[in-house]
Amino acid sequence: MAGDDRFETTTAGSRRARWWGVLTVSVVRLWKRATGTKSRRLAATTAAVALTIALLIVVTGIALGLADGATVDRDDADVRVAPAESDSLAAVDGVEKSQLGEANARAERIRNGDGVDHASPVLVEPVALESADGESKRILLVGVVPDDESRTVAGLPTDELESGDPHYADGSYGGPRRGEIVLSAAAADRLEVEAGDELTPGGERLPDGAAPSSTVAAVETAGDGEAETPVALIHLSELQTLSGAADGELADQVLVWGDGAAAESAAADAYPEATVQSVDRTNPASLFEDELAFATSLLALIVGVAICASFVATTMGMTVNEDRRTLAVLESVGFTTRSRLAIVAVSTLLTTVCGALVGVALGAGGIYAVNRIASATIAPGAVAELHPLFVPYAVGVALVAGLVAVPYPLVVAARTSVLTEVGR
Amino acid sequence: MTRCVVGSIELTYGPMSDHALRRTTPQAGPTTTDERESPTAVRLEDVTHEYGSSGGRGRSSEDRTVTALRDVTLEVGAGETVGLEGPSGSGKSTILHAVSGLLVPTAGRIQVLDTADLTSLSDRERTRLRRHHVGIVFQRFHLLPSLSARANVALPLVQAGIDRSTRRQRAESLLEQVGLGDRTDHSPGELSGGERQRVAIARALVTDPDVIVADEPTGELDTATGADVLDLLTDIGRDRTVLVASHDDATLAVADRVVTLRDGRVVDDGR
Repeated sequence: MAGDDRFETTTAGSRRARWWGVLTVSVVRLWKRATGTKSRRLAATTAAVALTIALLIVVTGIALGLADGATVDRDDADVRVAPAESDSLAAVDGVEKSQLGEANARAERIRNGDGVDHASPVLVEPVALESADGESKRILLVGVVPDDESRTVAGLPTDELESGDPHYADGSYGGPRRGEIVLSAAAADRLEVEAGDELTPGGERLPDGAAPSSTVAAVETAGDGEAETPVALIHLSELQTLSGAADGELADQVLVWGDGAAAESAAADAYPEATVQSVDRTNPASLFEDELAFATSLLALIVGVAICASFVATTMGMTVNEDRRTLAVLESVGFTTRSRLAIVAVSTLLTTVCGALVGVALGAGGIYAVNRIASATIAPGAVAELHPLFVPYAVGVALVAGLVAVPYPLVVAARTSVLTEVGR
Repeated sequence: MTRCVVGSIELTYGPMSDHALRRTTPQAGPTTTDERESPTAVRLEDVTHEYGSSGGRGRSSEDRTVTALRDVTLEVGAGETVGLEGPSGSGKSTILHAVSGLLVPTAGRIQVLDTADLTSLSDRERTRLRRHHVGIVFQRFHLLPSLSARANVALPLVQAGIDRSTRRQRAESLLEQVGLGDRTDHSPGELSGGERQRVAIARALVTDPDVIVADEPTGELDTATGADVLDLLTDIGRDRTVLVASHDDATLAVADRVVTLRDGRVVDDGR
């Protein structure tokens, strides 16, 4: 019979292998318990952290939305296509700005691209408008092609206009006019009109006879602060006809909504010579510039850490309490106190991080829901914004909460009596 | 034969066979050789232990206390298998826990191999002694349910700082030797009682300890399975010091001698 081997453990081990082994045991135990057994406490910890982090993400997203609302370009497009900076053809620089040609047709092509939700040329023209009983006032008219979704252009909601642009009629500009106009509050004040009133273009730039009236569909706050610009939205082709930009289907820029990379690619295909820019609207640094947003996000952070730490401490304390026998067995096979506590700490922090990742996903869903509800009720567009930095932020917050909470499960673990547990 | 190098030490694994748990000729360093040559592997001198006392040696306590051991003096020779018998509460398990360093008696001295008095060691030193020199087999196996049989066996080697591949190799070799070579990936929940106790025995042997303590190792098993486990213990006991506490005559029959305890006192040391 072959004999057993001599196995020397007193000199063969290394510190690195020990800690790596302790980490592996912690992770494997946690994984097996999470997937193979019914550990309700583990699920409770993860769920508690996830819900807290989701709340933190939603509140921070709203704060970011608040902060960005004052500083962003006043549309919510994901990609902007603008004429490339080039040597001006005009003899006097600045007299005539560069514009995009065939904007309507090319925007249609972009719209049909994969991952693109919508694309609209935008033409901006200062036009004198007058109400039935008022004098002519110059307003910045912005021509857009609206769709069914609520989008923001020039700080105004496009969904107050009828969807589509029928007057364009495949380039003939002979389709029916909608005759709608959405005014900013400043523009309505200046013209002294309200929703339902008629406005007639006037002034020296209008072609003869091209003075169809428009009905004020809505008056909206453009959201650019006290010095609000007198601006108005109308259907693109109607402004093109009005301003003479119908020849060549000119527009100042094309805005694209949809998946950033796909929208950028579709726009670049349609306009290889133009400048295509992805819009990074959500700038977390803006949180520090807006006092209300900063206070909101700071409060969410403090509340989030406090609640998260309380949940983690309580549930992990209970988990460790249930797990006393395992800790006793580890002690009986020679695990030092430090190693046993390391297993508890790793389990606690890992559970917290997993909860944080689930929380980010829930938070993203929460932001989507908040935006949907806000759009359907009180706001013209998105009120909360999601940023990729939210992922490390959430994990960082959860780790801090876990570190705040970890002493309690450690105390429970350290007070485990090996004889009481293995004697049962 | 399988050879494996751990640090500067070369390990040799024998071919796989059931119950092949005896050691080959000792090849370890001088300390281990001395331990082998020591005639006494475990010595208890005037050991008294009271449960419920405040724990410190020499301290008095007004708490209600239960005296588990009273002036127990006992010597177990190297390679000897000693059975501990007696009714419940007679102090059998307390002796095993004291020898394995899981408790520090209220009074007396305990020496395992040629180490210093175990009662004078720190917690850390006693844990280290247990890790390297004492293997424990519990009545209720006490395997970690979330780990595989192999991971359970390899557990003591984690703290010993043995690298993963050596841990796996060592654990698989021992599982093979206790007849569970085809169960290495099974979790304890997928094993029968007898198989679990074999895993527990393999775990107790994984650091190649000099002393094995077994507390009612067949207490949870039926007669046939218990007999298999006793075969294993007999195999182990050929060249290790084994202390086995039991009520069961068949279990005690594997011992070279049986120490009888009553009310925490040794009434017959079996010599």
